[in-house]
Amino acid sequence: MRDISLIVKRVWKSAFMFTALSVLIVSSTQAQDVVEGRKLFKDNCSSCHQLDRNSTGPALTPKLTELDEAWAVKWIKNWKALVDAGDKQAIEASKFSPAEMTAFPRLKDEQIKNIIAYAKAGEPKKAGEDPKTEAASEGVSDFSIAGIIAIILISIAVLVVLGRAIKMLERLILQKQGVVIVEEENVSFATGIKGLFKNKKFVFFFILCLVISLGSFGWMGMWNTGVHTGYQPVQPIKFSHELHAGTNQIDCQYCHAGAFKSKNSTIPSLNVCMNCHKSVQATEKYDGEISPEIQKIYSALGYDPGTMSYDKTKQKPIEWVRVHNLPDFAYFNHSQHVVVGEQAIRKEKGLKPNEPVCFACHGPVDTMEEIYQYSPLTMKWCINCHKDTKLDVKGNAFYDKIIEAHEKIKKGEKITPAALGGLECGKCHY
Amino acid sequence: MESNKKYWKGLEEYKNTPDFVENNKNEFAEPLPIEDVLNEAGLSTVTPRRDFLKALGFGLGAVTLAACQTAPVHKSIPYLIKPEEVVPGIPNYYVSSYNGQSILVKTREGRPIKIEPNPNAGAFNCGTDAQAQASVLDLYDVSKLKSPQLKSGNSLTESNWSKIDAFVKGELNKAQASGKKIRIVSSSVNSPSTKAVVADFISAYPNTKHVQYDPISYTGIIKANENSFGKAVVPKYNFDKAELVVSFSADFLGTWISGEEFTSQYIANRDYKSLAKGKMSRHFQFEAGMSLTGTNADTRVPVKLSEEGPALLALYNAVTGNSLAGASLPNNTTADKVIKLLGKELLQNKGKSLVVCGSNDVSTQILVNAINSAIGSYGTTIDLDNPSKRYAGNDAEFAELLNEMNRGEVAAVFFLDTNPAYDITNTKSFTDGLAKVALKVSFADRSDETASLCDVIAINHNYLESWGDANAYEGYYSIVQPTINPVFNSRQAEESLLIWSDNPVKEYYTYVRNNWEKNILPALGKEWKDVLQTGVFAAAAKPAGAYTFSQSLTAVIPTIISNSKALAKDIELQVYESIPMRNGKHANNAFLQELPDPVSKVTWDNYIALAPKFAEKLGFKEFDIVSITDDKYTIELPVLIQPGQAQGTASIALGYGRNKAGKAGDNVGKNAFPFVSFTNGTFKYATTVKLTGTGKREELAQTQTHHSFEGRNIIREATFKEYKKNPAIGSGNDHAKHKSYDMWDKYEKPGNNWVMAIDLNACTGCGSCIVACNVENNIPVVGKEEVRKRREMHWIRIDRYYSFNVEGGEDEGAHGSGHGTHGSTGINAVTKEKEIAHLDNLDNVSVVHQPMLCQHCDHAPCETVCPVLATVHSSDGLNHMAYNRCVGTRYCANNCPYKVRRFNWFNYWNDSRFDNYLNNEFTQLVLNPDVTTRSRGVMEKCSMCIQRIQGGKLQAKMEKRPLKDGDIKMACQEACSANAIIFGDGNDPNSEVSKALRSERIYYVLEEINVQPGIGYMTKIRNTDTTVQA
Repeated sequence: MRDISLIVKRVWKSAFMFTALSVLIVSSTQAQDVVEGRKLFKDNCSSCHQLDRNSTGPALTPKLTELDEAWAVKWIKNWKALVDAGDKQAIEASKFSPAEMTAFPRLKDEQIKNIIAYAKAGEPKKAGEDPKTEAASEGVSDFSIAGIIAIILISIAVLVVLGRAIKMLERLILQKQGVVIVEEENVSFATGIKGLFKNKKFVFFFILCLVISLGSFGWMGMWNTGVHTGYQPVQPIKFSHELHAGTNQIDCQYCHAGAFKSKNSTIPSLNVCMNCHKSVQATEKYDGEISPEIQKIYSALGYDPGTMSYDKTKQKPIEWVRVHNLPDFAYFNHSQHVVVGEQAIRKEKGLKPNEPVCFACHGPVDTMEEIYQYSPLTMKWCINCHKDTKLDVKGNAFYDKIIEAHEKIKKGEKITPAALGGLECGKCHY
Repeated sequence: MESNKKYWKGLEEYKNTPDFVENNKNEFAEPLPIEDVLNEAGLSTVTPRRDFLKALGFGLGAVTLAACQTAPVHKSIPYLIKPEEVVPGIPNYYVSSYNGQSILVKTREGRPIKIEPNPNAGAFNCGTDAQAQASVLDLYDVSKLKSPQLKSGNSLTESNWSKIDAFVKGELNKAQASGKKIRIVSSSVNSPSTKAVVADFISAYPNTKHVQYDPISYTGIIKANENSFGKAVVPKYNFDKAELVVSFSADFLGTWISGEEFTSQYIANRDYKSLAKGKMSRHFQFEAGMSLTGTNADTRVPVKLSEEGPALLALYNAVTGNSLAGASLPNNTTADKVIKLLGKELLQNKGKSLVVCGSNDVSTQILVNAINSAIGSYGTTIDLDNPSKRYAGNDAEFAELLNEMNRGEVAAVFFLDTNPAYDITNTKSFTDGLAKVALKVSFADRSDETASLCDVIAINHNYLESWGDANAYEGYYSIVQPTINPVFNSRQAEESLLIWSDNPVKEYYTYVRNNWEKNILPALGKEWKDVLQTGVFAAAAKPAGAYTFSQSLTAVIPTIISNSKALAKDIELQVYESIPMRNGKHANNAFLQELPDPVSKVTWDNYIALAPKFAEKLGFKEFDIVSITDDKYTIELPVLIQPGQAQGTASIALGYGRNKAGKAGDNVGKNAFPFVSFTNGTFKYATTVKLTGTGKREELAQTQTHHSFEGRNIIREATFKEYKKNPAIGSGNDHAKHKSYDMWDKYEKPGNNWVMAIDLNACTGCGSCIVACNVENNIPVVGKEEVRKRREMHWIRIDRYYSFNVEGGEDEGAHGSGHGTHGSTGINAVTKEKEIAHLDNLDNVSVVHQPMLCQHCDHAPCETVCPVLATVHSSDGLNHMAYNRCVGTRYCANNCPYKVRRFNWFNYWNDSRFDNYLNNEFTQLVLNPDVTTRSRGVMEKCSMCIQRIQGGKLQAKMEKRPLKDGDIKMACQEACSANAIIFGDGNDPNSEVSKALRSERIYYVLEEINVQPGIGYMTKIRNTDTTVQA
């Protein structure tokens, strides 16, 4: 079911994006410098500046409207030179924050002017893009499913009606041809079934079918008990891996740094989120308001984006719902697989070079709007991989002696984790 | 979920009336109507069948529904702001120190979970004792107070620091103005910063005096050294330089001054490395009760407490050629004989021998000084110039404090790390005096015996939450640094004193740092951050001067003789510090309560130890409860029959009988401190008592009984003399072995082969490995009742075996019929129970301690009988145990020849019946997250710290380097002061363990049954010499 809704969602989304983009292009032809300025702003300034509010640096729209453009260009190019030259306005401005602004000598005057033009104009209002459409696009999937069902029902009804009509017409034609229609014996449905059940062969066949289907259903059900592939709980923050890992191409390690050092991959603490979300507030999507999801980060930290201060008394940790639940008695170490076994796992799972090794078990995280459990995480699943994967121990001196010993005993056999004792109980269960 | 309540069917069960007990013997309360059911009418009734089907249908449906649950919702809560140094899943280590031992504290996600010795400590890295290992549990003690307490009306109530500060300062000013005395009472303080804080406090309130006393006092040694050499110190003893050690009731491998350090020094002359060089020290022990040190002695001579003085005098005469009066031992010819020979031997080993004495009597210690001077110990085995600073208590000052308090001269008193309402001889005088003090402040972390009598409990941090330092020896400094934020609303005692004395520096961290940067670091040429990294600094030791005893002994001899005569009047009682409980400070530590006494193997109790023959003479049997009375105090304790105990003496361990320690420690055993007496200016730990039977009986919770030898050749030993001729003597390696047959194929171990070697000559039996294993592997504490049922869960135990030194075959029955005697070793050990029964002299026993843990047999008998393959072999030589496969048939335990498999009878960590340990979320923070907690109904055993093996291997893989010998250490091995446990890869011929396993002394326990154990033991070697041996 999810797959259908995902597909529908994606179709709707691309259609929506297309319209939005075309609107943007239409509007952008009218103000070339603003669009370029917007791009430059996003690339260079947005990590510290917001248009309409102070962040690390001051709010740019009011500031740049008030400033003389020529001076502003000089400031942006190299504010330090201005300060050193003793420009009073510059000295005053440099006191805004202890954090020093980066100088941009590589930007051309024209580019800086574009930025200023963009900043003065503010975020262009795009036609039809108000928060409600976003909400509507969320609701689309349910609607479309209902629509499809309705269409199917209607077409069935149409088919039935058409069938009746054809029968009537046939009868009319036959009557006209003078054929006497022998009315079929009007045997009631119930007596028909009763008759069927008197047929011993049918009864036997029926019971056999019932047993086989129930049995196989039960068998499958048993095997999948406790297997939660596809488990996708509702998280306290609607965090999109699709956006972060897919669109924005943020490396997995940036947030899950533990995976490369420790047994835990670690859910990032909020200070990691704040590295970007101090300035990335997605206000453009929420009519100048901070995104409600990003606001959740701020609330948890007791952070006030206006004053940029933390209130420790209001801090409250975020309770994520664990998606990947290994049984308590299974010891799994991320670093063993992500660092030591990386190459072997890549080869075995056929990952593309640009895909992180994490995808081997966690699936295409870069396309997951909300994260779900991709692999079954059963012991069979672990063991199969340990049996099939050929170790890649090149350049790891740890394995030299072990491989040598292994070769002596089982010459030429594939060296898998299983061959080196990876299937022994105590290796994972202690 | 286990029941968290106690249920009972009726009052009779609750009260356990005799009727109930009688009825309870029947399986069913009423006769079952079996006849009724089986008659025709019963069988033809319709309802039972239909009810059965209904129940079956409902049950099946319910079970199916229950199984159809969706994925479990587990919350995963990351840090809000992660500290930079923390990576979840990876431990951090911090250097610190515990009781003068330099340690590493392992923390996971900010929680201290394990104590390990600090490898930076160099010569001072002596492993850790059981107390240090167990100390991490004290941090998570639920019996601690959560906030400071202030007296309001007649009771102590929760308060806050500002109220307490105002109250204490007000009272202090009143006290100062009235000119009355202010006293800070503490146990010995060696921390330079704490001393400085106290000094600052004294300058703010000049009426203050710092009184130090220790419940186990060393004042006798300090005063004697002051008297003899003008140095009021506990000297530094160098057991590593002593080739001949003579100890008079000093348990120097256990509790005396610093056991773990002396163990490491002592073993240096006795372990496999030393033996391989053909060197082994000799050790004589003269004592009344069987101490840990006594069990390790080459020759142990039981002497009565009253004979100790005369014996020392005799030894003095023997080494100096004098003939002081009173040196006769009319009733102990053995001791007399040994001492005469020993005198000669000491003179032969001049400068290489050491005499120590556990007495706290100044006169006795002066005599010991005279002996040591005569044998040239000063400057070699005894160092007075780099003295130990662990003990500085002054008994007389404390006694004077009691007088001052009772005279009403004291206006304010502070108790730091001390509990006089429990651990002094005359608690009544103390409590009476305390009532006359206006301001009584305790820095205890709980409302203990003393704190509950105070006006203020200014709860102190645990040492794992504190800043601090230690100065265990002259010139040797170590740091204490916090490894966790204070859990409760506590404040460090030093900080409280700084605040109350209006010190300009209020924060103790700054104070410690300033103190180090000003007074300690410049001399060492180091910086503060170096201290935080290495944890210890030792200045170059001063040259140890050779001191000569030149005082006259005429003043001391009459005291020694009169002490001896006073003791000889009645049954001589020795009260001593036991290895697990020490002075009782950590009585609430369940790990320590369940640590078996190394000799008696008793847990959760103290007892009165009597020699078998003496008990028989008095008419007591084992476990009879007897009443022990001196002129002012009476307690009732069960009797323990202790072979080796001197006739006419009894021993009781101190540290028990606390009643305000907490959940685990309250009312365990009886308090023996009131038997301590204060005479001639020091505390004396010997007195005379009368014993009377009470007719009651109570079984002690022992982990091992006396006679479990069953005649098997488990312990192999030889004498040093024989060893020098033939290193393989006694090990069974010097002659053809029993032919054995294999039923199984050989296991291939291509990669690593994890094996262990245990040096029986190094193991002293102290038990610190047991506690280390408990902490590392989340081993539950089961309590007294369960231990009685032999259900303790320890993965490693130390078996104590007695054997009997029989002189020249005078008793044919005792000599054994070749069964118990070990080939040609020459030691006549009696091992058969029926032979033991014939022995009439159980005084002269020798003891071997054998650490016993899963032997990781290659052909493990447990594996073949497991019906569910829950225990299987690995390709690196380990015997794995998969708890979740285990269905609890216990066949494996039955089939294990070493009896090392332990069964979980209960969910010990979640069952209200075991409410002294892990039954709360707070204490569960001590669990090692890398090791699972086992559920009820499964078997468990030593895993060879597989989490450490896997962790060590991964570390090497990540660093792309081969695994080095020593990368992986077992918890037991790390804790061992004696280096008796060697672990490593048997496939690496150069590893330490491979070298050790190639020793001629190696034998495998029960090797004749060919289970091919992975742990080799080295024969016990005793340096006994027939010319001197008793």
